[in-house]
Amino acid sequence: MAEATFLDSNELVINMGPQHPSTHGVLRVILKLDGEKVMGTDCVIGYLHRGVEKIGENRTYTQFAPYVDRMDYIAAVSNGLGYCLAVEKLLNAEAPPRAQVTRVILTELNRIASHLIWLGTHALDIGAITPLFYTLREREEILNIFEEYCGARLTTHAFRIGGLQYNLYDKFTEDVTSFCDRFSPRVDEYEALLTNNRIWVSRLRDVGVLSAADCKQYGVTGPVLRAAGVKWDIRKALPYSGYENYDFEVPVGTNADTYDRYLVRMEEMRQSVRIIRQAVANIPDGPILGKVPKVLKPPVGEVYVSIEAPKGELGYYIVSDGSTQPYRLRVRPPSFINLQALDKMVRGNLIADCVAIIGTIDIVLGEVDR
Amino acid sequence: MKLWDKFLFTDLIQGLLTTFRQQNPKDVVTEQYPAQRPAIAERYRGAPRLNVDAETNETLCIGCNLCALACPENLIVVGTVRNAETKKKELTTFTYDTSRCMFCGLCEDACPVDALELTQDFELASYTREGAVWDRQTLEEGPKPTKYDF
Amino acid sequence: MDENQKPPSAPAEDRPAAKEAAPPAPPVSADASAAETAPKPAPKPAPKPAAKAPAVMEATPWEGEIPAAAREAFGEGILRAATYREQDFFETGPETLVPLLTLLRDAFDYDYLVEETAVDYPKDEKRFELVYIVYSFSGNHRIRLKTRVAENEEIASAVPVYAAANWMEREIYDMFGVRFRGHPDLRRILMPDEWQGHPLRKDYGIIQQDQRWVRENLGIESGQ
Repeated sequence: MAEATFLDSNELVINMGPQHPSTHGVLRVILKLDGEKVMGTDCVIGYLHRGVEKIGENRTYTQFAPYVDRMDYIAAVSNGLGYCLAVEKLLNAEAPPRAQVTRVILTELNRIASHLIWLGTHALDIGAITPLFYTLREREEILNIFEEYCGARLTTHAFRIGGLQYNLYDKFTEDVTSFCDRFSPRVDEYEALLTNNRIWVSRLRDVGVLSAADCKQYGVTGPVLRAAGVKWDIRKALPYSGYENYDFEVPVGTNADTYDRYLVRMEEMRQSVRIIRQAVANIPDGPILGKVPKVLKPPVGEVYVSIEAPKGELGYYIVSDGSTQPYRLRVRPPSFINLQALDKMVRGNLIADCVAIIGTIDIVLGEVDR
Repeated sequence: MKLWDKFLFTDLIQGLLTTFRQQNPKDVVTEQYPAQRPAIAERYRGAPRLNVDAETNETLCIGCNLCALACPENLIVVGTVRNAETKKKELTTFTYDTSRCMFCGLCEDACPVDALELTQDFELASYTREGAVWDRQTLEEGPKPTKYDF
Repeated sequence: MDENQKPPSAPAEDRPAAKEAAPPAPPVSADASAAETAPKPAPKPAPKPAAKAPAVMEATPWEGEIPAAAREAFGEGILRAATYREQDFFETGPETLVPLLTLLRDAFDYDYLVEETAVDYPKDEKRFELVYIVYSFSGNHRIRLKTRVAENEEIASAVPVYAAANWMEREIYDMFGVRFRGHPDLRRILMPDEWQGHPLRKDYGIIQQDQRWVRENLGIESGQ
């Protein structure tokens, strides 16, 4: 929206956010309205900008690892995995098998946790209050596993470059298996609450349609892309951490609307449980930390490594000048790129749908602003 | 949605049944903190502690400064003097700024003698910024949060 | 936590590491990259292993259908096509970049702009290196494209080719001050509009900030 003046009396400009419960953080959306209809949007972001990339240039590779947890704090484990994989690629090192399986289990647990938060808050935005309590209850169990494993619940710092710092605790397999057993029926419960609910369906169906071609044009990835019918998941396309060894499906939608994105994410949670069950059944023995030097000095070079985070493609582009600190560390944040498509999705819809669409993109402002 | 479903409200009844199934008081998971103490994991990364030898009450810290070097936030300051007789470094002061700490555990990992440790204490609130900067004594004795009766 | 595999003595472990990374890594990277980008006959042979002083990226030349087609279309505009750590990349002249993106999108189905960012090498004449990463869903392959621009040089915007470039170019403008010709809405995105300076430049300190902005907008002397 380059034109700054809106003098036409039929048009109304309102601010949504930055302090608005439905913007999931400090997102400010300037909406240009014609009656109830949204004619255009302008996102104002950066309220949470902490200069993560600048911090990265001023810390050693090891020291920067805790900071990546603070971008997408809902899925801190995924962030950590992406960072560790990128530095390992730069070092030409690999984590030992036991570490890789552990990483898969924790990352998939984190994907479930992230989708649970998304489901609860998205339903709350639409007006369904009940699911939030149930999803937070289940997420609590996941966070307890994280706490037992690495000592932190949210910003976990669970992985280290080259493998893991903490070995699995004694009851880990038991805890994870019993969580999977309890969790599967609960997904059905959420579906019983929402999937056929007439209010839910009429609020979501055909709202915020973003076709596959538009998704590619805007670089949108993750569940939004899959709901548009593109069967693309980095875990399948460019496997990392041994994802090629697990049997799972990539759910896709057909209508590319908010309702399909809901269905895709629900199915993803089930598939994550499936991966976790396979992984827990075969945790190999052996070392947890690969052969990496204590002081990391990657050779001069640059790599781009990306993983399938719960929100989409999370990439790290690291340029090394051969010293202990990255010369340039760039994060490709899925939320930031996906949010860009908001204007396309909202335009022409009603203002009440704006909340549903912001919810369906599943943004975390810590990652948008970095 | 089929016509009879629309008039019999089957979708809504299905949801309500799910809600009512959760009403059993045994299923309540809410923790009544602070009356009820939370279960803290053994590996929890909370308040830092500087360990002392249980028998001699002497510090385990050898003043190697590795924790300060490992810390991403540069919040640890280790003060040492060299003992003229034994030619060994001895710890004099140790400051730890908990207000900037993000409890990543890198200092703990770096410590070669398990002197610095992140413990299960999690009540670190202080009325002043200065209160968040811990000296050697606080680190050895641990935080002393106010206890309330309920 | 004693069961964890903690290396017994940390300081002793440092030695082999230091030995592995042979050059003591002076801040030479800028010079190294300058040597790479300087105009020269396109495919550069792999750097001599004995090269001691400025360490360079040990990339191998990248041959194949796509580099051949790109060379045929742009000739001298393609400075280098190479592979590093199984990742293929092009180095091009600034005016070749957007046409090359268009070629990759239309002829080879690279329909997804993954990433666009910049790297600052303040010692070089052309200090900013712009990095584009494109991906092909059908070919399941990523290509990185790099080009160099000087401080006050404009470069054509990639927005007409990929809509995704919009915010990423705004972020590059915000953080580095690179201007894009033909961008629909080149404003700051993460920093406030009136902010002075570009934080991700190497000469911008990590705790440096726009004091005037902080004073005027927050009413305090310093934000720190």
